[in-house]
Amino acid sequence: MQDSRSRASVKSLLKREIGKIRGRLKPPAYRGVWDVETIDRRRLNLLLALVLGLAGLPVFMLYVLLVMSSFANTMLSGPDIFSARYSIENWRMLFEGRLSPAAGQQYTTRDIIMIIVNTLVVALGVTAVVLVVSVMAGYAISRMRFRGRTRLMELMILLHAFPGVALIIAVYAIYVWTLGFIPTENTFAYKSYMMVYTVFARAALEIPMSIWLMKGFFDKIPWEVEWSALVDGASRFKVWREIIIPLVKPGISALAIFAFLAGWEDLIYVHVFLYPEIKTLATFIEEVVGSIETTYLPVVAAAGTLYLLPTILFFVLTQQLLLQALSGGVKA
Amino acid sequence: MRVRLNPAFLFLIPALTLILVFYVVPLILSVYIGFTPLQRWNLNRMGSITAYNFERLFYMMFHDPDFGKVIRTTIVFTAFTLAINVLGGLGLGLALYLMDEVLSLPYRILWLLPRMTPVAVYSLLWYYFFLGGEEGTLNSILLRLGVINEPLSWGTDPRLLPETAWVILILVNGFVGVSFGMIVFYSAFHSIPREQVVAARVDGATTSQIVRHVLIPQVRWHIVYVTVWQLLSLLTTFAHIFLLVEWGAVHRWWGSTWALYVFNVAFKTYEQGLAAAAATVLVIIGAILGLVALRILKFKEMMVEPKGEI
Amino acid sequence: MVEVRLEKVTKKFGRVIAVNKVDLVFEDGKFTVLLGPSGSGKSTLLYLVAGIYRPTSGKIFFDDKDVTNLPPRERNVGLVFQNYALYPHMTVYDNIAFPLRLRKEPPEKIDSKVHEVAKLLRIEELLDRFPSQLSGGQQQRVALARALVKEPSVLLLDEPLSNLDALLRLTIRAELKKLQQKLGITAIHVTHDQAEAMSMADKIAVIDQGTLQQVGTPEEVYLKPRNLFVATFIGNPPANTLTGSVQTVDGTVFVEVGSARYQLTEEVSKIVREAGVEKLVVAFRPEHAKIVESPLVDPEGDLVLEGDVYVVEPLGRENIVTLIVAGMPIKVVTPPDVKPHSSSKVYIVVPRNRVMLFDVETGLNIEFLIREIHQKIPD
Repeated sequence: MQDSRSRASVKSLLKREIGKIRGRLKPPAYRGVWDVETIDRRRLNLLLALVLGLAGLPVFMLYVLLVMSSFANTMLSGPDIFSARYSIENWRMLFEGRLSPAAGQQYTTRDIIMIIVNTLVVALGVTAVVLVVSVMAGYAISRMRFRGRTRLMELMILLHAFPGVALIIAVYAIYVWTLGFIPTENTFAYKSYMMVYTVFARAALEIPMSIWLMKGFFDKIPWEVEWSALVDGASRFKVWREIIIPLVKPGISALAIFAFLAGWEDLIYVHVFLYPEIKTLATFIEEVVGSIETTYLPVVAAAGTLYLLPTILFFVLTQQLLLQALSGGVKA
Repeated sequence: MRVRLNPAFLFLIPALTLILVFYVVPLILSVYIGFTPLQRWNLNRMGSITAYNFERLFYMMFHDPDFGKVIRTTIVFTAFTLAINVLGGLGLGLALYLMDEVLSLPYRILWLLPRMTPVAVYSLLWYYFFLGGEEGTLNSILLRLGVINEPLSWGTDPRLLPETAWVILILVNGFVGVSFGMIVFYSAFHSIPREQVVAARVDGATTSQIVRHVLIPQVRWHIVYVTVWQLLSLLTTFAHIFLLVEWGAVHRWWGSTWALYVFNVAFKTYEQGLAAAAATVLVIIGAILGLVALRILKFKEMMVEPKGEI
Repeated sequence: MVEVRLEKVTKKFGRVIAVNKVDLVFEDGKFTVLLGPSGSGKSTLLYLVAGIYRPTSGKIFFDDKDVTNLPPRERNVGLVFQNYALYPHMTVYDNIAFPLRLRKEPPEKIDSKVHEVAKLLRIEELLDRFPSQLSGGQQQRVALARALVKEPSVLLLDEPLSNLDALLRLTIRAELKKLQQKLGITAIHVTHDQAEAMSMADKIAVIDQGTLQQVGTPEEVYLKPRNLFVATFIGNPPANTLTGSVQTVDGTVFVEVGSARYQLTEEVSKIVREAGVEKLVVAFRPEHAKIVESPLVDPEGDLVLEGDVYVVEPLGRENIVTLIVAGMPIKVVTPPDVKPHSSSKVYIVVPRNRVMLFDVETGLNIEFLIREIHQKIPD
């Protein structure tokens, strides 16, 4: 009987199932009551908006000042935003590697580009490692039965609780030890190993929480989907690839964004493992601000704004998704 | 006879490998290093075992004035930031919940911004705000208002220490930490059936009565959870403090917590043995708090048994 | 107790009209059921009375007091939600006492009132428990106790029985009705279950798509449905409908349904002729029809239809026979001994006074149409 059923029909059946489940996974629009309409909420709203706004305003101003300063001839601090002169001079200087109008070229344009590329490589590397590892493990923990399943998940939470600072000493010791086996004269191999080790070490930091998140996403898929597919004669792997993964795509994209931002924003790991041979935007800013004699802050502001850009971009585009995922770690 | 490997294991190999290499081995190694005289990453020194690091740490606690400053800073910083993170997070989550949805959205973005900002940029923002000299935002504002006559080095001026350094640390970390509580509490409030709020309204409750009698009592466990988790994270993370100290925005000792001290001893003064010993203390605290957090999460309930194994 | 009166009440959510110009009186001390399918606006109507929603236009009165813009607390209403909305962190006692504590009543008075209402609802032994330790039926009682403890002038029930299992629902609906009669309280009960509505209501208000379809006693909405919607929404199985064309033979007006002819009364004929109606819906309830083997000579002018038996569903107390008449499925409720063979040809007889006629275009019952015309143009 199984054979008489054409592959195409199985596939279309699965597609229909997926469509059904997708519909179900979507959060239903709230149809209940929100609050009592006969009570005036305007005053409450206004009061809360004012309090939250005032409390958050200082920080928000700091961001505004940073971004504006990157275009100004001086570091802005309030009223002087009206008197300052604005241009893209700072950005030009940054990409030319001149860190102040007085100083000469401390970096080449190539250096600056490489710094950005390095930051991207770390971020994308971390994303790739986190995704592969946690999608696989999250699926196994959510869907498969094996001994020590609960224990493993408990361990994940515990590991997440462990202080990174305690780990990093030993992780660095292992790094020093393994670097000893790489020939120093082969610069490419040496630097590649540095990069790879850093990416894996940094990604490992995200692993417990990512697996936990991914497990949550897998948990939401009804068992019936998998059953119906398995009954129709699809292999477990086929089910995984053609049904499960498409269904958790929103989860995967959320995780990808998290992992990317984690890798992108990292300071401690790139400082410890890569600096000064390989610089990223974080260590670049650290270095420039730290060297007092050359610090010209408007150019640093440009670098900071550049560094901030993807974060803000991602954030605005995926705000809703982030909030959902961030709250996913805690049981309601 | 063939040994049949559980397919789950295949899916878990990458995760288990990473956990082994970057958690389990380092954790054991770290405690072990605490008992060795490792210095300057001279791995040959790892052969001998000694309790010297712990003796020294114990001695420093009572006799090293700089280390005393670190301990006091750690206590003050952790206590105040924790209070801000939990109470502020609760207040924020509550306010956002009570606000109209449309209105609360921009606020949620605003308050999450510090958490999502790269550490280097976030530190830069505050570095510049508290910068000594007339350039610094705070100085420039206060000078213009006539509150001060000369620019102050807020984080390092001996006349202002240690309080100003502590305020800076607490402020910088508070704005980041508060959003964790905000997210947890906001979603916790939203998981309370809205009908309960409306029912209370129908029964004549005011907003503040609803908050006190209906909403807050139902997030008790979330409060404990956030407290434990934030305590843990405040004791062990140091990234946001790291650059402020490095850039001289705050005093070296009055601006260092235990975790940053561990890091600097390991990577600046290169006494890895001592650093690992100090880190071991954090590992123990982490283990205890982590276990507590696990109990609170009612962990077993979240582990749904897989149904169909074929 | 009060009488609740709605005048031209409209509620819009954005562009969606949830309640459309509703005029309705909930009589003092009576049990009124708002009946309609899901999304019909019945709960919205209830929330309007509670003061949870503010009408977009129109007015709401409690007796002569205009409460349109008053918050719920100033209306003194008791409300039971579908999910009961009990506070999980409070004991049953605290749940019930909560409204009184908000009013800052003295503790002794609260205590006696809580015990009084708990006794009334027979939940005294549950007072120390938490809601999670109660069964659905018990939770429902607690919610009811919480609504009643403040001695409301109106009791509002938003599908309070829909989360209970079928058997429990039957018991509780009888008890609820008894309780309401005992207290003499004005009650408004929202449900989508027509049997529940029929069994409990003094008066049923049928609502669909935000518009009031009919208000009347259970008998009225059952026997004289105002329009096709009410006819087909009430009753289980619902009324059968067949569309027929109007024919005039030798001055007599008939409706032709399949092979059958049904002669219209003088009054109806007049209307049909004057309005130029070409089609009518003939409707009747399954329990009002009889199945016979051969067509009788029919002096009464009853409706007689010829049909093929499609399927017989024996339910023990009765059988439901589905037939195909003029290509349409028709259901008839018969005594258990009537079991015609599948595909056999039989005849359905519906007494003249049980046949309902509806206008195809408006869905209006012709009787009501006549009444309305009489009201407008008195002859």
